[in-house]
Amino acid sequence: MKFDASMVADIYQDRGKRVRELSAAGRGGVGYFCSLTPVEIITAAGLVPFRLAGSMSEPIREAHSYLETIACPFTRSALDVGLSGAYSFLDGYVVPHACDNIVKLYELWLHNIPHKYCHFVNVPHTTSRPSMEFFIEELRTFKASLELYTGQEIGAEKLRQAIDAHNKQRRLVQKIYGYRKQDPPPVSGSDMTRLLMSVMSLPVEEGNALLEAFESEIAALPRSADGKVPRIMLCGTGNEDTTFISMLEGSGARVVIDDLCFGTKPFWFEVGNGEDPLASLARSYLNDVHCPRTFRYDQRSHQDDLEVRFGHIASLAREFEVNGIIYYSVLYCDTHAFDVPDIREYLESQKLPVMFVEEEYPVSSLERLRTRVEAFLEMVG
Amino acid sequence: MEGPREKTTAEKSTETSKRVRMMIKDLAQRAHEARAAGDPIAYLFISSCYDDILRAMDITTVGTENYAGLCAAKMSAEQYLAKAESEGYQRHLCTYATCGLGFDATRRELGGMPPNAPDGGMEQPTVMLGTGMMICDPRYKWYQATRRYTDAPVHVLGLLNPPAYYTHVDIKDVRNYYIRYIVQELYELVDFLERHTGRRLNMDRLAEVVDLSEKTIKVWHDIYELRKAVPAPMPTEDALNAMVPGYFMMGTQLAYDFYRELYDEIKHRVDNKIGTIPDEKYRLLWALSLPPWYALVIFNYFESQGAVFPIEVVYHPPPPVDIPANVTNPIERMAWRFYDSMTRGHEKARKRSGDTNVEWFLDMIDEYKLDGVVFHQAMTCRTIHTGQLHQINIFKKYSDKPVLLLEGDIIDVRNYNQAATHDKVDAFIETLEAYKAKNS
Ligand code: SF4
Ligand code: SF4
Repeated sequence: MKFDASMVADIYQDRGKRVRELSAAGRGGVGYFCSLTPVEIITAAGLVPFRLAGSMSEPIREAHSYLETIACPFTRSALDVGLSGAYSFLDGYVVPHACDNIVKLYELWLHNIPHKYCHFVNVPHTTSRPSMEFFIEELRTFKASLELYTGQEIGAEKLRQAIDAHNKQRRLVQKIYGYRKQDPPPVSGSDMTRLLMSVMSLPVEEGNALLEAFESEIAALPRSADGKVPRIMLCGTGNEDTTFISMLEGSGARVVIDDLCFGTKPFWFEVGNGEDPLASLARSYLNDVHCPRTFRYDQRSHQDDLEVRFGHIASLAREFEVNGIIYYSVLYCDTHAFDVPDIREYLESQKLPVMFVEEEYPVSSLERLRTRVEAFLEMVG
Repeated sequence: MEGPREKTTAEKSTETSKRVRMMIKDLAQRAHEARAAGDPIAYLFISSCYDDILRAMDITTVGTENYAGLCAAKMSAEQYLAKAESEGYQRHLCTYATCGLGFDATRRELGGMPPNAPDGGMEQPTVMLGTGMMICDPRYKWYQATRRYTDAPVHVLGLLNPPAYYTHVDIKDVRNYYIRYIVQELYELVDFLERHTGRRLNMDRLAEVVDLSEKTIKVWHDIYELRKAVPAPMPTEDALNAMVPGYFMMGTQLAYDFYRELYDEIKHRVDNKIGTIPDEKYRLLWALSLPPWYALVIFNYFESQGAVFPIEVVYHPPPPVDIPANVTNPIERMAWRFYDSMTRGHEKARKRSGDTNVEWFLDMIDEYKLDGVVFHQAMTCRTIHTGQLHQINIFKKYSDKPVLLLEGDIIDVRNYNQAATHDKVDAFIETLEAYKAKNS
């Protein structure tokens, strides 16, 4: 496939287009939330995993009468999009036990959004041995539910193939991120978001073809050297929309790496392809998806504990040679907000400057934020 | 009517529930003594399935949510909320948690108890026991954060339950591995406690505690059956006190004796038709909502208008234990008890509304002969207070009883407006009146 910039732009504009076509031809799509849903199982069932999101550019219309304003605005927005019928091309939905807000969404979608299939994957909060055993069983149940829905058995071989395909996708994504170590990076943060959101709207094999084409394109770009602009890492809650990143980049930041749910989180590991594919999936999704909703803990000392919880951020920041970190969280995200003082302490101990932003979704006061961001960039630049 | 600044607690009807304040003081005193003696102390959450183990290992417990509630009732929470905020914890986080974090940060900073802390303050814990459940993220994030002020090790007990409904799974198929998970997690907890407290678990002792807990739950439940009587023998404000032994002292003789005594008192009131208020005009359900601990007088305000709350959904006793007789190992019994209480309503919900809470409301309306439903949206507890609109939407499909939604908080009095609340209550009473007139 030869890459053409309009490909990503087209998919990103109308993310459901390909699943609608496939669905009409007999291959349905299953929507899912969060980086904790093992998409491999959906792929192995012959369905297309489709990443669900809200809409930063649309105000909430209907969700007000279903979900309180104290709920995380991402979930309110996603519900609103669901209520509008925009996801009606999907066969159904999978909701993992990510956080309290996402758990609420499961019930709300179940009751208010038409579906042929609906499933909840209970993800333990700890990485203990019993949690792992439980999670394997829970993935078995998830697989069985899809088998019942499609009428097709999902054998170990199909799972292995799906794991291989998604691992390949992860490697491609990591490789593309790797180009962003250059200065200036050939791929901006906004480009990356659009690319990943597009990939998460396609069957894995088509997503991989798109990534391969994109990678060949950027590999061929001539390098230019310009190291004067601050290199920024973006962390925090998910943000599938480019408004915020574009504002950062428009203010003179180079967003070169992230620790986001719509960024590195679902792609920064590989699933082992051992004896029992479900066990491999359980291990990876529980251990390797770094999210504050999974309780990781080190008994030795507070400092060791911080290292276990946030060490991956510092190591990515170093690998990508960032000058500073912007930690963005939507309002009312408890799992992230409880971490703020600890993260601040940790990053300061690592001599990594950090700026915290807690905002509505859609970001309500972009201009005020821009002033803060510019001051931060000046400080770290 | 006194405002919340002058008076926060509600007048109680039953003599037994008035004793609870003293029991709370005793609990705090026991923690102070344990600290002085160098005995282990655990921070814990309510409804977390681990109480019997702690009792059997003789580990003193400090209920951190309860302490925040006490601070709110004593109007001492503000300083701790402000401290937490200055530490970087946002005001919109669960205010039980921010009150606790602010308290722990203050104690750490002062190198001792904050002066004038209610009941002498929360003692420095030896361990902190969070839970990874389906209902509340602060239950593990709070203690994880608190470690910066206590250095006490944290353990998170995995306690999961399935949702009421999936399209392509029969819930019966998942039961065994859910229960097995809880059992294994409880053993992990025992291991953690043995390593960090120096105490050992004696299984015979645990079996005795589990028996006592099951007996206690039964009496507690029987009291709630008696509460169906008209006039209401024990209102919600009493139940909010009377739940303390069940939620913070479960597995002790003290809790069992308390409920026996309360049972006798309620029985006497039912037999003699002694109600909460002289002229009971409206009987209301306090739905799934935590109360404003700084303004419990709101219940007395309802009563001044002839409305009483014979029953509530929060802090309800678990259902009496109904588990297979061949389950004799006490840890397995604890796991079954938890799983059963979390899934008891699922089958019924699947057959009708699809929502276990709404089913519960509907049942209570019948059984307790209720005229309306009151929700309270406590702004900083997302866990319980998101989903209320959804519950109301579903409820309205099955019942035309009037519904009121109040706004406030559990701890932070600044989220509460007394005048606006009273206006809402007044308007609701008129709606109830009109509803009754129309349906009589
Ligand atoms: S932003 Fe936070 S609260 Fe919202 S869905 Fe994500 S993790 Fe949950
Ligand atoms: S979020 Fe709600 S349920 Fe959880 S600790 Fe706070 S008040 Fe309790």
